[in-house]
Amino acid sequence: MPSTAADLTHPEDPEDGLAAVVALRRLADQIDDAQVERALRDGWTWAQVAEALGVTRQAVHKKHARRLRDV
Amino acid sequence: MFERFVGEARQVALQSHSIAAGLGASSVEAEHLLVSLAGTQHRAGAALREAGLEPQELHAAIQRDFERVLAEVGIDARGVDVSSNCRRTKLGWGASAKRSLERAVEEAKRRGDRKIGCEHILLGLLRAEHGTVPRLLAAEGIDRDELTGRL
Repeated sequence: MPSTAADLTHPEDPEDGLAAVVALRRLADQIDDAQVERALRDGWTWAQVAEALGVTRQAVHKKHARRLRDV
Repeated sequence: MFERFVGEARQVALQSHSIAAGLGASSVEAEHLLVSLAGTQHRAGAALREAGLEPQELHAAIQRDFERVLAEVGIDARGVDVSSNCRRTKLGWGASAKRSLERAVEEAKRRGDRKIGCEHILLGLLRAEHGTVPRLLAAEGIDRDELTGRL
């Protein structure tokens, strides 16, 4: 298990490092899905969610509106 | 691209979408095609199962791979269920799955087969050198040549 910041961004094998990028995107997507849904259920507006995520309202709407249309 | 695929192979491609959705993926990838293939009655599916790669084992292997890969960069993802948040309804083909299907077409061509079947999809999947599928096969101790020999 790497222990320093340099180790985290420099796994020894590029295969491992690139695979980690894919897995992190996947993990980030899942957290994104779960947290956007939670915020909307808590009464946040799309504009507020977008601001908190640091993206445009259009971007967050495009990514989640269809999936969360019943929320 | 599926007009030359036989019924069973089309079914594998179709089924891979529900497998990807069930795993909470945002696109259909090569590993989902592999799980789909492992569940078919076709000899390509039987070859995978004989090698110990039943669909359930592959699901578990995908989870272990996710955890191992993140551990490499110091992230403890144990207990993070990759299949949570399976709410997406319509998934697109991811690059790894597209590549595998293109390779399946190439394999059929190379063998002089006019139609593309499950065996070609498996051969296409086995040709990948990088990514989740080759890592899963390595982690499960699968000998690709032996597997292709069973086809």
